[in-house]
This record gives sequence, structure tokens and C-alpha cells, in this order.
Amino acid sequence: MTDIHVTSGAAGPTGSGRHLLEVKDLYVEFHTRDGVARVINGVSYHLDPGETLAVLGESGSGKSVTAQAIMGILDMPPAKIPSGKILYKGQDLLTMSEEQRRQVRGKEISMIFQDALSALNPVFPVGWQISETLRTRAGLSRKDALKRAVELMDLVKIPAAKARVKDYPHQFSGGMRQRVMIAMSLAMEPKVLIADEPTTALDVTVQAQIMDLLGDLRRDMNMGLILITHDLGVVADVADRIAVMYAGRIVEHADVRSVYKHPAHPYTEGLLDSIPRLDSKGTELATIKGLPPNLMRPPTGCAFHPRCKYAKAVCTTETPLSLDLGHGRTSACHFAKEMLDGTLR
Amino acid sequence: MFRYLVRRFLQMIMVFIATTFIVYSLMYWTGGDPIQALAGEKPVSDLQRAQLVEKYGLDQPFLQRYWNYLSDLLQWPPNFGTTLTGRSINDILSDAWPVTMQLATIAILFTIIFGITAGVIAGIRRGSIFDNSTLVLTLLVIGIPSVVLAPLSQYLFTIQWKIFPTTASGVGGWERWSDPSLWFELLLPGIVLGSLSVATAMRLTRASVSENLRADFVRTARSKGMPGRRVIGIHVLRNSLIPIVTFLGVELGSLMAGAIVTEGVFNVPGVGYQLNRALKTEDTPLVIGIVSVLVIVFLVANLIVDLLYAVLDPRIRYE
Repeated sequence: MTDIHVTSGAAGPTGSGRHLLEVKDLYVEFHTRDGVARVINGVSYHLDPGETLAVLGESGSGKSVTAQAIMGILDMPPAKIPSGKILYKGQDLLTMSEEQRRQVRGKEISMIFQDALSALNPVFPVGWQISETLRTRAGLSRKDALKRAVELMDLVKIPAAKARVKDYPHQFSGGMRQRVMIAMSLAMEPKVLIADEPTTALDVTVQAQIMDLLGDLRRDMNMGLILITHDLGVVADVADRIAVMYAGRIVEHADVRSVYKHPAHPYTEGLLDSIPRLDSKGTELATIKGLPPNLMRPPTGCAFHPRCKYAKAVCTTETPLSLDLGHGRTSACHFAKEMLDGTLR
Repeated sequence: MFRYLVRRFLQMIMVFIATTFIVYSLMYWTGGDPIQALAGEKPVSDLQRAQLVEKYGLDQPFLQRYWNYLSDLLQWPPNFGTTLTGRSINDILSDAWPVTMQLATIAILFTIIFGITAGVIAGIRRGSIFDNSTLVLTLLVIGIPSVVLAPLSQYLFTIQWKIFPTTASGVGGWERWSDPSLWFELLLPGIVLGSLSVATAMRLTRASVSENLRADFVRTARSKGMPGRRVIGIHVLRNSLIPIVTFLGVELGSLMAGAIVTEGVFNVPGVGYQLNRALKTEDTPLVIGIVSVLVIVFLVANLIVDLLYAVLDPRIRYE
């Protein structure tokens, strides 16, 4: 155990190299009539310019809530952030005034949502919505803002942008609507773009186009991209690093290649096994048995142990901490090393 | 759009003919003896009776009489005929309508200003003291019929505290629109008339605003860094207005018709007052005339609402 040391969350250089965005040991809980749900339990991750971090997990794993906490669009109450830090360029967003945070939103950190049809306002033309920030925040005239909106629509490859700038969201196809959403989020040229399941509501072919577009834009504009998804297939080509979340914790954090090659957490392994493959034709698709835990009454010890096929006695009593496996790789499993060795049974 | 308008117009004509026919036949079969009603308590000689029957065409068959009436109505300007007492119904209507419209204007403005404002505040602060107290208040207002509310407020505000004049003057016609004192005397009746609409508008606005506040596009607007007042004032309100405008349009139609009690209590010489009087004196031509115009007002109000709906909500298109 000499080469493994325990960190409070996911690994990442601290002090020396400052990250563009850094979430540090974040806790979020929801106070409802039925009790307190602890949805985020010490999440840490970081993001650098031009880099893509994929945050992976089932629904309810806390991946979207983390993103909403970064954006500052959680409804508080019922949400509450008892502790943690969200550093943007070294400044803690959580200690800022609401007005300061508002200045960050959309301008520095921007977000796109899963269902573009409901995320866009149905009664305003898309050009109006894309240019809204430019008019109200960048001080552009109505005409200049609309011109810029057409440019942005061109940038995200919406055909006949000039003719369609006055159309309403419902007049676009799903893929085009998501492009409108992306154009809108890029209006103020943000440094960080958070994409919350941007392709979940789309056809498979359109999914690939949108992912390519996001990848290109991130490179061209040198943005940091946080890609939230539950689809491992989507992230393989685009992401640099993957953070796998389960029950409000990051259970594994590593570069894409390592994760695909040797998952260091049983949950990640389960996710990878449940991707359909061409060579597995005719065999039953592997699934992770059971359901995600109720966050009002999380299981003792490791939250994943009731569903884990390797679970041992220690897993039911002790919560595993994040183990640093080297090369910026972490895993919150008591047997992470054994998993990598292939000795875990 | 043009096809839609043509279709709606044809529908309106059919509804108009059907409703006037129903009202005409109801008044015809239940109206009693119009000549005796005209003469009052005095006995009518056979000669007089024959003359009057001849004059009003009372010996003609029912459908013939309805047709005569309708064809008079469908010319321009329409001729509503005369009351049983010989007054021109056109004159009565042109005196009464401006008064009722003035009253309805006050009521609808009152509704817009108080109902929507209170509804927006209650919708934003759901569960607050303001929300709960306005909820109780609106329940109370909805529960009190205008036959109680009108005399009660008249007693309190005009007799007890002498803030407003007790009754409205008999001035009719459009001239009264330019006289501020005549606006003032309709203020209390207007508020009484509008109070029910205020309560409904408030409830509707509250529901609409609180629903839209939870919408995804609000989250989007916030994540764009829009200030709270813009999120609510533009994104939420613009969407919430769609059902409210619909309600207000229909309400404007019923405010003009539903003022029988209020106009009666405050002696407002408007359409409701005249209709009330016509019903009491069994003045069949006047009743039918007023109801015919009310039907048109309703139809036009509904058409305007439907057209406004398409303007407010781009997802709706009429083919």
C-alpha cells in the first residue's frame, strides 16, 4: 500500500497548476417534506481549457445536479450546499454574490440542456433568443445582435441561417433545435461549456453530428467542455477524461483510454459490459442488476455494494475513499488495485 | 388564414340566425298578449285591437314575422324597429351601449391592473402570506353573488362613507366618455362588476405564472445570466399571458352582458338596465333587439380572442 495514497476526492494537481474550473469536495442535499436527500457527496473534478471531461452515470447519480450547482441554477431551497468549493479561475463561485454569479453565467460558463424544445422559449423567434444576451449584456443594438445571431447559426451549421433567424423553435427539427441551443450558449464566447445530455433526445445519426460539432467548437474556441451523459458510446470519441458518478460520488476518474481498457471500479465495468457489441450478437445483453439507491436512505458502506458482483463483507460496512492509482486516475473501490490486476473475483 | 376567417364569418352568421330565432320564438310563445301589455290596465276595444294587429303585423304567421324582423336587422344600418311604447330601439341602443362599454372598460382595466398584478406576485411567492390571503379573498369574492355585493358596496361606499355617488346619472351616448365626472360615477359600479373577474384573473395568472416558472425555458434564461426581473417580466409573463388574454377577451363580452344586476342597483342607464326593464314590461321587440346585439358582441369577442391567440402563441396557426 506504499504507492497508493488516499485523497479526499478525485485527484488533480492543486496549488501549482491552477485549473480553469475546479469542483472541490462538493456536497448538495435536497430538503424535502419526506426528509433530506444527500444527492452529491463530496464530488471533485476539474477542467482545463480545450479539454473535454465526460461525466457519466445513471439518472439520479447527481451528474446534472453538480452541473446545476456550477451554473448556480439550483433552486435553493429545496437544494442546499452545506460545503464544498467551485473555483472558476481560482475564485470560489459559491461565496460570490448573486449578482457576481449572474455575470459568470452564460458569459464565462454556459450550459446546454437535454430537450431543446422545452429549453427554448416557445413564443420567441430563435434569433431573438440567441441574441438576447448580446442585446442585454454585451450592449449590441437590435440589428447588430441579430446579425451576430445569424453568424452564430452559421457557426453551428444551421442551413439558411439568415432565412430562419425569425423562425420559432417548434419550426425546427430536433437536431437543428439543439444547434440553436448551442449557438445561444456560445453567444458570449464562454470559456466553459456544460452540455447536459445534449444528444439524448435525438436520433442516432443526429447524435453523432451534434457530438462532432461540440468537439469542433471546443477545439476552435479552446473551451473546456463538460459532457454529461449516461451513454458510454457517445463519449469515447470526444472525451479526454471520464468521471463516473454513482449515488452522488465520483467512483472512477481516469482518461478515456484507461477506462475502456481496464475499468478500476465494478460499476464502470458493469456500464462497459452493458454496451451492445456487434460480436456479442445472439447473446443476452449484460445489465447491472438492481436499481440505483434511494438517496434518502443510502446503503451503508459502499453505495454500490447491493448491486456489486464482487461485494465482500468490508463493502457493507466501510465507505471506500478515492484511491489514487497514479496518472491522475482514481477509483472509489476497496479493491481497485485488484480490479486493475485482474485478480478480483 | 383567409380561409379560416371566411369560415369563421360564415359560422358567426349561422350562430347569429340560430340564436335570434331561439330568442324570437321564446318571446313569441311566452310573451302573452302584446296589445294588452301595450295598453297596460286600460281596456282595449275591438277596433283598436284590429288596428294594432294590422300595424304590428301580428296576424301574420310566426315564420313570416321572424323573417320580417331578421331582414330589417340584416340591412345597413340595421333597423331594430320600435318598442311597444313606440320609441326607436336604435335610439335606445345607441344611448345605452356607450354607457355599458364605459362600465365594462372600467371593470376590465380594474381586472387587468389588480388581477394580473396580484396573480403574478402570488405565483412567484407561492405559499407566502400574500398568496394565502389573496386566495382567501378571491374565494370570498367568488362566493358572494352580485345581488349581495352590489347593494352592500353601494351602502358602504356611497351612503355610509360617501366616497362615491350613489347612482349614475341618466346621461347616455358617446358624449359621456369625454366627461371625467361621469367616469367617476361609474367607478364603483365598474369595480363591483369587475371584482368577480379580478378574482378569476388572479387565480388564472397565479396558476399560469407558477407553472411557467417551473418550465425548462426559465432555467435556460437563468443560465444565460438574465436578471430575475427579466426572466419573470419577459420569459415567464409572455408565456403566462396566453391563457389570461383568452380569458379577458371572453370576459369582456360577458361583462357587457352580465351587468343587469349591477346596472340595476346603481341605476346605470346601460344595456343591462334596459334589458331588465324590457323584460319586466314584456317589451318583446326591445328584448330581442338587445339580445341580438349581445350575441354579436359575444361572437366578435370570441373571434378576436381566437385571432389574438395565434398572435400570442406562434405554435398556433389557422388554416
